[in-house]
Amino acid sequence: MRRYLRLLLLQLRMSIALGAQYRWDFLTQGGLSLVWTVLGLVPLYVALHNRPAVAGWTYEQALVVVGWFTMLKGILDGAVNPSLVLVVEHIRKGTLDFVLMKPADAQFLVSTARFEPWRAIDLFAGVGILVWTFRLMGTAPSLAAIAVSTLLLAVAVTVLYSMWIAAIAAAFWVVRLDNLSYLMSSLFDFGRWPVSIFKGAVRLFFTFVVPIALMTTYPAEALLGRLEPARAWLGIGGALVFALTGRFVFTRAIGRYTSASS
Amino acid sequence: MRILSAYPTLLRIGFANAVAYRTEMLVWMLTMTMPFVSLALWSAVAESVPVGRFDQKSFVAYFLATIVVRQLCGAWVVWELIQEIKSGTLTSRLLKPIHPLVVYSADNIAAIPLRALFAAPLALIGITSGGTALPHEPHRVVALFLSLFGAWFITFFVMVIIGCLSFFMESSASIFDIWIACFMILSGYLVPLELFPSWVRGVAEVLPFRYTLGFPVEILIGMSSDAAIARGLVIQLAYGCGSAAMALALWRSGVRRFGAFGG
Amino acid sequence: MSRGDQGIEVAGLHKDYRVHRRKSGMLNTVRSIFHRTYETVPAVRDLSFTIEPGERVGFLGPNGAGKTTTLKILAGLLHPTAGRVVVAGHEPRLREHRFLKRITLVMGQKQQLIWDLPPVDTFSQNRAIYDLSRASFDATLKELDELLGISAIAEKPTRQLSLGERMKCELAAALLHRPDVLFLDEPTIGLDVSMQLAVRDFIRAYNERTGATTLLTSHYMDDVAALCPRVIVIDKGRLRYDGALGKLVEKIRPDKAIVLRYAHRPDRAALERIGTVTECDDAKAVVRVARPDLREAVANLLLDPELSDLTIEDPPLEEVLRELFAQSAAESA
Repeated sequence: MRRYLRLLLLQLRMSIALGAQYRWDFLTQGGLSLVWTVLGLVPLYVALHNRPAVAGWTYEQALVVVGWFTMLKGILDGAVNPSLVLVVEHIRKGTLDFVLMKPADAQFLVSTARFEPWRAIDLFAGVGILVWTFRLMGTAPSLAAIAVSTLLLAVAVTVLYSMWIAAIAAAFWVVRLDNLSYLMSSLFDFGRWPVSIFKGAVRLFFTFVVPIALMTTYPAEALLGRLEPARAWLGIGGALVFALTGRFVFTRAIGRYTSASS
Repeated sequence: MRILSAYPTLLRIGFANAVAYRTEMLVWMLTMTMPFVSLALWSAVAESVPVGRFDQKSFVAYFLATIVVRQLCGAWVVWELIQEIKSGTLTSRLLKPIHPLVVYSADNIAAIPLRALFAAPLALIGITSGGTALPHEPHRVVALFLSLFGAWFITFFVMVIIGCLSFFMESSASIFDIWIACFMILSGYLVPLELFPSWVRGVAEVLPFRYTLGFPVEILIGMSSDAAIARGLVIQLAYGCGSAAMALALWRSGVRRFGAFGG
Repeated sequence: MSRGDQGIEVAGLHKDYRVHRRKSGMLNTVRSIFHRTYETVPAVRDLSFTIEPGERVGFLGPNGAGKTTTLKILAGLLHPTAGRVVVAGHEPRLREHRFLKRITLVMGQKQQLIWDLPPVDTFSQNRAIYDLSRASFDATLKELDELLGISAIAEKPTRQLSLGERMKCELAAALLHRPDVLFLDEPTIGLDVSMQLAVRDFIRAYNERTGATTLLTSHYMDDVAALCPRVIVIDKGRLRYDGALGKLVEKIRPDKAIVLRYAHRPDRAALERIGTVTECDDAKAVVRVARPDLREAVANLLLDPELSDLTIEDPPLEEVLRELFAQSAAESA
């Protein structure tokens, strides 16, 4: 266990070293994140500002969802996505074999291969949005609410991570997968809206298949103090299911891996 | 011209290429149907009170039209180009007696019928059954086809421009991310441009993003006046020529540099 | 660390690949969207051999023969379809951590070094992954530096190193954990001649110093001839020969080539009475003679006063192997 912690810190340090090599990227990515976050608020503004509430969500309340979304996006883009991109490249170049030769858990190595630490800007932007929104509403969340929502944030990260691992596992079979990460980003982007706005099949999809409900709506509801406890347990249970499924799929994929010829 | 005679074969190979990766094709098709979710979203928003002049039915028509246009005008040459420049495999393309852009475009155009096969007809049916009429006056139909071709043209050549930047920098994938981010907001993909505050609308009308999606969509569901269509076509033409010229120039100097530094 | 179980044992190894086959043409293309036919391609068939600890063995064979596939199965990267494989007392496909710490893989043209960072960073990473103590890591690195000379270059970003320098650092990174078994897949491919020699010398020296079992695949005959007392020849997935290289040459091409140089044009007819003439031009001739007749042939040739130089050579390895593969093709036909 301690060994894996040491490895994690090492990988983090190397990613930062890499970031220092490409300072230009560092700046543009950080700036871009901020711009995209602000622009992302515009559709919400159009839909809800000075308009009747939709499915029980007012403009300010929906902003809380956006805040969580932004934080989660920071974690996704900074800690989960970069490794996925790297793995697909490894498979293409045939150098994934080296990863598999190492006496450490392949899933761990693959998931910690690359980080983009400057995405922490999104984390701060998300917190910023939350603070600003509560100022707008003139209230503040209780400590219990903050605790529960932070727990649910961890749940959300677990679910997101498991989905990406399953996607990486798919990359073992189907080598050309640039579009899959694009698809997942597009789907994930709908996490900026409260899930109750969707109805019927779409809502089911976003609750169980690509559970943005879990990832952004529930933490937001927790922070607003209106999450039913049953939902929280559903969230934790769901995260476990996703984590186990992800691990299972990944292990199976490694088992069936055939490396690129020669 | 040799290119004309080679094109049918290139189209056929492009088709085979598209089919070779079935899963990738499926994923691409799914990505292109994102507007269905936007549709669900905005229908819910407009349930009680319309947003601007868009009520539920109009939103449905709008986003279905977005799907149709996106499927028919999609391009992906930027990823191919970046990959081939970085790995050096562009060299083999450069050695053939045909301009690589001709091959790329053939690949692209050949794949469109296949990719549009499923979603586009369904979307078109959806639009008409919802009560919106598709354009039937001849000049409107012509304008529609021109705008669709123009949208693809601009998308393709802008992608070539961004791809060519990889000749000069480490990877222009991040620049493409910027383009896509702006595209999503300013083309009308996520929100009909009409609904934006007026200053955003003004900016969007001047920038090229609208002419790769929003403009054909508006023609398709009959939301523009003849004057607006005419104006739009002119701007589209300007952006088309401009992007093609810049792409070719950038390509030429990029290839020279590529040869100098080796693959 | 017991030395006894560093060996490799392979019995009845089979490996099949599933490949999608499609005929050309529009109709078949469309059909392949909905239904795909898969063919089973045998890559390795009924392979058996045993390698003792500390041996240096070369895998020879044409492209597509199954050498790399076999190597990857031994390293645990591919699962065999059938057969028994034991490496250093472990079943490779289980990829136990204890097993992985005892082996290493070096692939020509592919590298584990991180591209944008200096090799020392990859070294640190490997130190953490293989759980090496500071002391043993430093000692091993020093030893590798003595053999390879990498201290000067290991702190520059990998992308700034030449191909040869990269290969040296690659070897160092692969050996930091002092493995008992080395798998080398085409390690000298793409390197210039002096670099090839350097790599070969290093591998030999390392094997002699540490007694690590070394398996090498190559289609450069020189690599194998220089490094490996024993070769295993694989063609079309089957074992063609397993033993000393010298004996293989004797078995397949039991003749020698005598290279003759003359002041003037040689007399072809006269040479043909001595042996098979494979070359005869203005000043040079090459005559092939069976070993038993060698002495007499040379004695006869030396009688010619016009002769200015005479050398006796083994037939080139390429030719020997080509002969071997032609034989095997005839057998399977």
